[in-house]
Amino acid sequence: MPTAAIDPPGITWLRVSPKYVTVRLVEWALGNLVMVTVLSLPLVFVRLGWWRWPPLWLAIGLPAFMLLLALWRLVLIPRQVRAIGYAEREDDLLIRGGIFFQRVMVVPYGRMQYVDISAGPVERGLGLCTLKLHTASAGTNAGIPGLPTEEGARLREQLSARGEARLAGL
Amino acid sequence: MSAGGLASGKPDGEWLRVHPATPFVRGWVALAAIGYFFGRDSFERMLQGQPLIDDRFAGRAPWLLGAGALMLVLAVLSFILSWYFTRYQVAEGYVRVNTGFLFKQQRQARLDRVQAIDIVQPLLARIFGLAELKFEVADAGESAVRLAYLRIGDARQLRATILARASGVRLDPAQPEAAAPEAPEQQVLQVPPSRLFGSLLLSEQTVFIVLGAAASVVLSALTENRAFFLYLIPAALGFVAAYWSAFNKGYNFTAAISPDGIRLRYGLLDTQAQTLPPGRIQALKVAQPPLWRLFGWYRMQVNAAGYGAGANNGEGGSRTTLLPVGKMDDVLNMMALVLPDPGTADPLGVFQQGVNGLDSDGGFVTTPRRAWLLAPLGWRRNAFAATDTALLMRSGRWWRQLVVVPHQRTQSIALQQGPLARRFGLADLVLHTTAGPVAPRVIQADIREAQALFDAQAARARAARRRQTSEQWLAQVAPASTPLVERPGSETEPAETRPTTQAPQQEGQQRG
Repeated sequence: MPTAAIDPPGITWLRVSPKYVTVRLVEWALGNLVMVTVLSLPLVFVRLGWWRWPPLWLAIGLPAFMLLLALWRLVLIPRQVRAIGYAEREDDLLIRGGIFFQRVMVVPYGRMQYVDISAGPVERGLGLCTLKLHTASAGTNAGIPGLPTEEGARLREQLSARGEARLAGL
Repeated sequence: MSAGGLASGKPDGEWLRVHPATPFVRGWVALAAIGYFFGRDSFERMLQGQPLIDDRFAGRAPWLLGAGALMLVLAVLSFILSWYFTRYQVAEGYVRVNTGFLFKQQRQARLDRVQAIDIVQPLLARIFGLAELKFEVADAGESAVRLAYLRIGDARQLRATILARASGVRLDPAQPEAAAPEAPEQQVLQVPPSRLFGSLLLSEQTVFIVLGAAASVVLSALTENRAFFLYLIPAALGFVAAYWSAFNKGYNFTAAISPDGIRLRYGLLDTQAQTLPPGRIQALKVAQPPLWRLFGWYRMQVNAAGYGAGANNGEGGSRTTLLPVGKMDDVLNMMALVLPDPGTADPLGVFQQGVNGLDSDGGFVTTPRRAWLLAPLGWRRNAFAATDTALLMRSGRWWRQLVVVPHQRTQSIALQQGPLARRFGLADLVLHTTAGPVAPRVIQADIREAQALFDAQAARARAARRRQTSEQWLAQVAPASTPLVERPGSETEPAETRPTTQAPQQEGQQRG
């Protein structure tokens, strides 16, 4: 499994809920359907004879290409969701994600300024939520999506408690 | 009524007002605009020797003048009100500023969270001997607490008081009202105007201008179109403005050290005096554009909390500059101020290697040779080295750059790898710091090295945070400061290192 490439050794990752795949699928469908539809409009217009400019091959080729890309992303979604993981260590939280562009991030509890939880309509319907950590750095883009609501609440409480115990200034 | 309550020994915690001339110094542009708009006509007539008011418009002009006068009076009235309702107080570890007459605003900042403190003197304020006091708490730039304007002496006094409280110096308990003495300071370096001028001439900007000018000349010659020169006029004006602002900001740059922190002073017309308390610098960058290598010049920039995201535009740009242009000795001196404990036996060698070196001298770990294809020039230069107190990251063969992040300032760390890097067994390590011009990143390190660094760095940051217990910097055990390069005279030591009790509850940062 190539997803293990840059993980620090000896970490047991907690994975996010498999139901998060559904959330990603809905996002994917909304985003890509709109895009492919818009890109297909020239094809329709050309076929109807309203437009002369885009040659037929371009009018077909562009949406087809985007459709292929979208399908590829669709295939990747379950693996991407499986690649998201987090691990609570003694003094810091590890978060990982990505298959092709992998990222492992460590956020010390003492550095957390605040934690917030959000849930969109689809997430709420599935009983999921997204947890975000904020430090003094805007570069800390530490979010864990697709957590079951209870797990999110538990993690938030846990993180807040640990953060308070270890709070360092800046 | 005077602003100098602290200086004149009034009791602590009293609400004070800023200098009465403040609104006029601040709003003179508005006054001038109103005056110009309504008085222009009469003024022009006066110049032409005609009667003040045109006979034909005798019916209307008085109204116009009257409206102008009314607006002027209203403006002055609002100035006076805004002055009347602006009060400040320094008490109980907080500084509070109340402003506003219709829309009231109360701003308070915890003194032990003060990240930096500036005395700013725009030209007009300078003429009247006034100054603005501006201090930053840790936030993304919006939260600067400003006190404008005070008499320059009072501003200095207030700065000394705030810094004394923030550092945890306990004043004489018998005389709690006594003003804190200003910390003694010692000048470390000065940038001569000639060097500043030279550095601007040889800056990256100049290279781009020369290239752009050459391109447009070639283009206009090829197309036989003179219009290109027209496009150059606004560009040239912009460049002149940029050079002027850089010169104006960097003129007479001096750095000094005091127990309160690093003092930076600069400015030709508008002067500014910055104080960066010790340990408030989150990350530091030493950079050298290619042409500066001729003279061995370097530039130093810092990320400090509170200087914020505005770091790339005018004001912030100069505030994040620790050294606009300097030689190697200046760089090492500043480095010694920022990082008093370099955490290595041979700081001189390590830093020099970091700034100028290649390959693995000085304990640097470079990009492995197998990855030379990804960075044919830079692979021998892209490297990192960790001392006991800081992580050093160097990069750039032509645009040389060294980034230093103290371990206790590390916020969070990310290890990243894209598909190409995976091919070569490489990874990037990104350290997140507060917003600013420095973006610390270890580029293309060997994957094993990067992983080891990731773990080690998390551990080091943890240990460094444990050591650093208090926000009041005098309360911490001051590390033995060993100057890297001999400085004239002796080093000023913190006057007192009395342990103080830390506030039991550590609140989050204060927002205004």
